Amino acid sequence: MKERMSTPAVEVSNLTKVFSLGLRKEYVVAVDNLSFRVEAGEVYGLIGPNGSGKSTTMKVVLGLMAASKGSAKVFGLDSGDIRARNEIGFLPENPYFYKHLTGAETLRFYGKLCGMRGAALAKRTAELLKLVDLEGAANRRLGGYSKGMLQRIGLAQALVQHPRLVILDEPTAGVDPIGSRQIRDLILRLRDEGYTVFLCSHLLEQVQEVCDRVGILFRGRMRREGTLDELIAIEGQTTLTLEGASPALLERLRATVAEEGAEVLAEGHPRTSLEQLFIQIAERGGEENQPS
Amino acid sequence: MKRLFQRLPRTVPVLALLAAFGLARGPIEEGLRARLVAANLLVPPPAQSAFEQMRQSVLMATLGGLRPLAATYLSLEAFDHFSTKSWDDLRRSYEIVTSLEPRDETHWVAVVWHLGINATANMEIDGRLPAFERERRFKEYAFQAIDFAERGIAQLPESAAIRLQLVEVYREKLKDDCAASRVYGDTIGLPGAPGFVRRFHGYYMARCPGREKEAYAYLTALYREGKSQRKPTLIKEIQDLEKKLGIPVPQRIPEADPDRPRPNQAPRRSSNVLPGGIVVP
Amino acid sequence: MRPVPLFSPGRVATIASGTVTQLIRMKTFYFLLAFALVVVAAGNFNLPATPAQELSMIKKVSFGTMDLFAWLFAIVATALLIPRDQEDRTLYTILSKPVRRVEYLLGKLGGVLVVVGVSLVAMYAICATMIGVRESLFVAAEVEAMQADGRYSEEDIAGQVGLIRQQGLRPELAIAVLAFFLKAAVVAAVTIFLSTFASSSLFTIIVSILVFLVGHAHTMASSFWLHESGNSAFVRMLVKVVKILIPDFQLFAFSEGVVLGEAVVWPLVWQMGGLTLAYLAVFLLLSLLVFVDKEF
Ligand SMILES: Nc1ncnc2c1ncn2[C@@H]1O[C@H](COP(=O)(O)OP(=O)(O)OP(=O)(O)O)[C@@H](O)[C@H]1O
Ligand SMILES: [Mg+2]
Repeated sequence: MKERMSTPAVEVSNLTKVFSLGLRKEYVVAVDNLSFRVEAGEVYGLIGPNGSGKSTTMKVVLGLMAASKGSAKVFGLDSGDIRARNEIGFLPENPYFYKHLTGAETLRFYGKLCGMRGAALAKRTAELLKLVDLEGAANRRLGGYSKGMLQRIGLAQALVQHPRLVILDEPTAGVDPIGSRQIRDLILRLRDEGYTVFLCSHLLEQVQEVCDRVGILFRGRMRREGTLDELIAIEGQTTLTLEGASPALLERLRATVAEEGAEVLAEGHPRTSLEQLFIQIAERGGEENQPS
Repeated sequence: MKRLFQRLPRTVPVLALLAAFGLARGPIEEGLRARLVAANLLVPPPAQSAFEQMRQSVLMATLGGLRPLAATYLSLEAFDHFSTKSWDDLRRSYEIVTSLEPRDETHWVAVVWHLGINATANMEIDGRLPAFERERRFKEYAFQAIDFAERGIAQLPESAAIRLQLVEVYREKLKDDCAASRVYGDTIGLPGAPGFVRRFHGYYMARCPGREKEAYAYLTALYREGKSQRKPTLIKEIQDLEKKLGIPVPQRIPEADPDRPRPNQAPRRSSNVLPGGIVVP
Repeated sequence: MRPVPLFSPGRVATIASGTVTQLIRMKTFYFLLAFALVVVAAGNFNLPATPAQELSMIKKVSFGTMDLFAWLFAIVATALLIPRDQEDRTLYTILSKPVRRVEYLLGKLGGVLVVVGVSLVAMYAICATMIGVRESLFVAAEVEAMQADGRYSEEDIAGQVGLIRQQGLRPELAIAVLAFFLKAAVVAAVTIFLSTFASSSLFTIIVSILVFLVGHAHTMASSFWLHESGNSAFVRMLVKVVKILIPDFQLFAFSEGVVLGEAVVWPLVWQMGGLTLAYLAVFLLLSLLVFVDKEF
């Protein structure tokens, strides 16, 4: 387990966000009394189906939206605080930057917004272009970038001012398997370099591969939260992983299990997948959460 | 709608600030307007009557702050009326143009020239109308030109150009030498007034019945000013007056050469030639 | 925690220069070509008019067009920029950097104003060239004609040349350009304000143009309606409310006097500059009131 620092990178407490629709009294509760923490240095993944409130939560954390109730803090600062934003790099879902700027110009633009200048900025720009493997396209306008390239320049843009926290909204949406693998490797690299990463996704395998901890959001509420191991472990079930077991040994074990009244459920891959868990929760949530 | 609802509480401070600013700037802007108008930099809105005559498009342009463009457009249109000899349409166009831009001298000069010179000339030769009607309209256009000129002079009291155009109407069309002399006299000393207006003031005074003595005194005074004023016409006019008034020979000016061929009357163009030698069709 | 300046002119400048780049790369400067065409056309009017009249006409058409282009450009550029950033979600990435919303608004307005200013200078250069060329041609022709005639004294010729020069290229014309700029600045600020709560660019453009038109008409409206007894109290109320809410753009028409050749009264020019600043400050404040806790 990672060492827990005193101030969490993100601390969301009792966050509720209500959107009113029109003048008639119609509301959408996008986020409902949500609380969670992202510790400094970890990779935290928020997962949930479409419309479950992931992007809304991130926008509140970024100060792009005000909470209807509750609060969101970044490194102990209110999310609206400009100093907090200096510590955050954000990649929105389906990012879209100024089409008329080239990749390098885009990075310089965002760098300048963070108060960077001159040689330091030039160095950082080159560094990031290399990191996201866009050196070849540095002087091409974004109008001609593919979706994957946009996503990568977006990631570079998020990192420009050396933020301590990186917030990624669906970082691999619309990116092909190889591209999303690159992005996943990048995220892991960021974690190794000490960044805190807070991402959300509905692509579970990826969350599974990179996240230290995961929160499952459904209809604005946190359904399950914990380390991957905790979440995926199935209570009342135990896995034995044997090495070099002979077929005879396995046969004896099966017999013993049967004697004890237990049952061998599966052999081979012993774990459930995050995906199954996810679907389970969605199904259960769907039953109890019929719109009133 | 959704957006509006979310921000309903904001509309109160926004409206309050807007209203407070509106109330605060009201008197300041009125004061500024008055001073800008006094400095002739700002033209007050045209009279209601001018608006009533405007077509929709011109009205819109005028209201939209495109007054100079609207005025230019109408004056171009007036040139069109001029080429088709639609003098009444031309007058109406200039009514609007001059009320849109009362401080643009060129509009006043143009309308006086069109009505006073071109329209009257057209009445002298227009074979489609009976003689009586032509004569009546001739006078009508000449007087309309004089009316425009007077309004222009009221707007631009310093304008030499309007007066010089007006004087041509008196001189060439109405043959009113007394009025011509008076207008030349008014022009003396105005900014941009040519040097000849002082002499011409005298020449036409000399032809104004009853003012010969005054003219003689005035012209001899000019003569005594020196060589620069001693144009052939001046000498000729003085000599004519000397004879007419029976001035004793010793008092007469020395340049006695009565048979000297009479020179052209100084800077005077025929009415269809403009400065710069532009000939009007 | 790294320190972040509370207000940074550098961030404003970055957003402003980004806006300028955007407008340039959107090829908006092509409208200068259209302007040059208008000026060249106006310069080649062939009218039976005196040189002074013709110069005055060239001047009025080109300066009138300059005015029109400046305010229209200010409205359209401003109305396109912010809603576009919002629609494209570029705004998310900008506002999630340490950028204050007031800095964003100032930067956008500043960028538009730089482009309007540069365009005005360019348009002025085009106009000045045309007027200067025509003026010297007219003067040369006039002097030649008068000298050839032989009856005119130097004094007469100088008088005639003076008449032409008066309608020609005078340095004070730059003050008219300044007036256009001030007006465009106020229009841009009003447009920014509208665009902070309007949901589409088209709506912003239409409303801004309406505000602009009414802003020219309300002096006339008040002289017609406020002083006439025949109107109902309701109409009078309405005129007063409109007068209070809508800027008085008519004041900026002092450019017309300058173009016609009236003497420039400097204190009045400074006062108009001050008034413009007040408009900018108030409309930015209004925009900020709406924008500061706007959600995206
Ligand atoms: N500006 C808004 N106005 C009204 N409703 C909104 C607004 N933004 C989000 N919502 C609603 O809030 C809910 C949560 O939306 P959100 O974008 O946070 O979902 P998400 O988890 O990011 O979904 P996705 O995976 O599709 O990105 C949705 O029902 C959405 O319709
Ligand atoms: Mg989302």
